[in-house]
Amino acid sequence: MDNGEVILNHKGPLSYEEIGFLLNRMTMLLDKLGMNVTTKKKAYSAMVESLENIYKHQDIIADDFEHVPQFTMEQCNESFCISASNSIMNHKIPALKEKLDKVNSLDKDGLKDLYKSTILSGNVSQKGGAGLGIINIAKVSENKISYAFKKLSDTHSYFTIKVTISHNNNK
Amino acid sequence: MEPLIIEPTEFTPSILFDPNNSVFEITGFSRPENVIGFYKPILKWLEEFNDNLLSVNTDYKKSLLTINLKMTYFNSASSKFLLDILLEFMKFHSKGNKVDINWYYEEGDDEIQESGEEMSDMIGYPFNFISYKS
Repeated sequence: MDNGEVILNHKGPLSYEEIGFLLNRMTMLLDKLGMNVTTKKKAYSAMVESLENIYKHQDIIADDFEHVPQFTMEQCNESFCISASNSIMNHKIPALKEKLDKVNSLDKDGLKDLYKSTILSGNVSQKGGAGLGIINIAKVSENKISYAFKKLSDTHSYFTIKVTISHNNNK
Repeated sequence: MEPLIIEPTEFTPSILFDPNNSVFEITGFSRPENVIGFYKPILKWLEEFNDNLLSVNTDYKKSLLTINLKMTYFNSASSKFLLDILLEFMKFHSKGNKVDINWYYEEGDDEIQESGEEMSDMIGYPFNFISYKS
């Protein structure tokens, strides 16, 4: 993850328009790299869900300019590595961790089943999340999602997820 | 009943629901900022169409409904609503209308094709899968 070439980077609070801007830049870059349509769609999905997770769940800490939302996409060996970070209130961590551990424990068919049961039972929250974003990231990445919570205070932590999208079968 | 026509934007698909010809199309890209605000009125229109159809259509002359889905991308929040729309169409099927669901995908786009297969599995109804060249 750390030895790749950074092809896209964003630091700071995210607006909806900025997400669109980053997605357009990513699409142009992947076109330029000659990626096939499936690889592009997988990278696109992982990026949308990661950025929308930040957008919907960013709990901005006043006067903290270090732990602001951050997004990086790198080109590593035969894969794209996506890293997304945002500050989060500590009380949200157990449920999020449980969800991440759950998707990491499942194979492709297990993820499909979880997606199906979630979409058929879950309601869309006021923020528009359907509880499907993380499952979708795991589905398209075909790799385990690595994640970390760095405790900043009694109320907030800094949450990071790292996702890889293979493109070794691209051509 | 008047058709439902919504022009596409950078973040939302085009909607063309034509009750007179029984053709219902959703085309393009779906990542609305306000996913509930975009899709709720569409579901409401379908519910009204359902009531309307039932009031004029009794035991005979069940029309064929053609649903064309030609999505290039939709985020996970949109998938929940696309599923709700399809489930709404399944109500017509359960009342005796024939329903054809055509799922279009760009040749080689395994993601959209698989999403269609999953949707078909989730509603328990076969789709026609149609590939096109970009």
